[in-house]
Amino acid sequence: MLIAIITILFLGGGSTGTLDYIADARGDVKTVMEKDDRRDGALDTLKSMKKQVSANNKALKRTTKDLEKALADDADLEVIWDEFYEERAAHNEAMLDLRFQLRDQMTRDEWEQVFAADP
Amino acid sequence: MKKVSKRYAILLCVTTAVAACGGKDNVSPVDTESQAFDDLRDEVRLVVEDPAREAQAILLVDALEHDFLALSSVLKKRSSRTRELNADYDTTRAVFDAHLKSAQAELRKSRRNVTRTQLALRDALSSAEREQIDKAHSKAMTATIKSMQAI
Repeated sequence: MLIAIITILFLGGGSTGTLDYIADARGDVKTVMEKDDRRDGALDTLKSMKKQVSANNKALKRTTKDLEKALADDADLEVIWDEFYEERAAHNEAMLDLRFQLRDQMTRDEWEQVFAADP
Repeated sequence: MKKVSKRYAILLCVTTAVAACGGKDNVSPVDTESQAFDDLRDEVRLVVEDPAREAQAILLVDALEHDFLALSSVLKKRSSRTRELNADYDTTRAVFDAHLKSAQAELRKSRRNVTRTQLALRDALSSAEREQIDKAHSKAMTATIKSMQAI
């Protein structure tokens, strides 16, 4: 529990990755884009993003358990953190690939309607 | 009457910092965070009888609060910049890559500082003291946990 909280903190809150919030844009994309093949493609991309986020969250749970065990055993936490950051970089890379794929499936106007108003 | 777990110290401080990132309710996150650290200091004073170790532990709590404020600031800036870049249709992959790498490096540095202070605080307390503090759950701490779970 404690390490889970720490991990969440270091990931920046409830959203476990920097770009994970993009995966939640499904509703806005549905509203903004015409119902056609292009929209279906964009929604498929968002679905892939969700899967990526879900896989990352599973990895996060494993890291959490490893950290808890290491803390209890007074083991070296840095090794686990290093592995975590490597996984985090890979996750960000995958999310960026999908982010640019999604952008290419949308027009500038659609993109701005969905994301430009982000706080 | 004296027990503290490193886990409690870690939990309290971390959850407090989290509140700064996403607090709700009527109490401002900053107030909740400040109160939670004050509560931790009070608990340390209550639990640690040896004046020298108490002073040392209080200094470490101060350092922890400072570390968390710095970390919170890093997280806020990262999130804000990420959204700004994402909102721009013309942001290039290279710009995004550079931002994420830089943010990750900064986060790692902040995290190391926090861990170092956490471990120092853990080592400054006996296991009995740590257990005692572990049992204490202030309102501020409860609020910060709820706030964090709601993010």
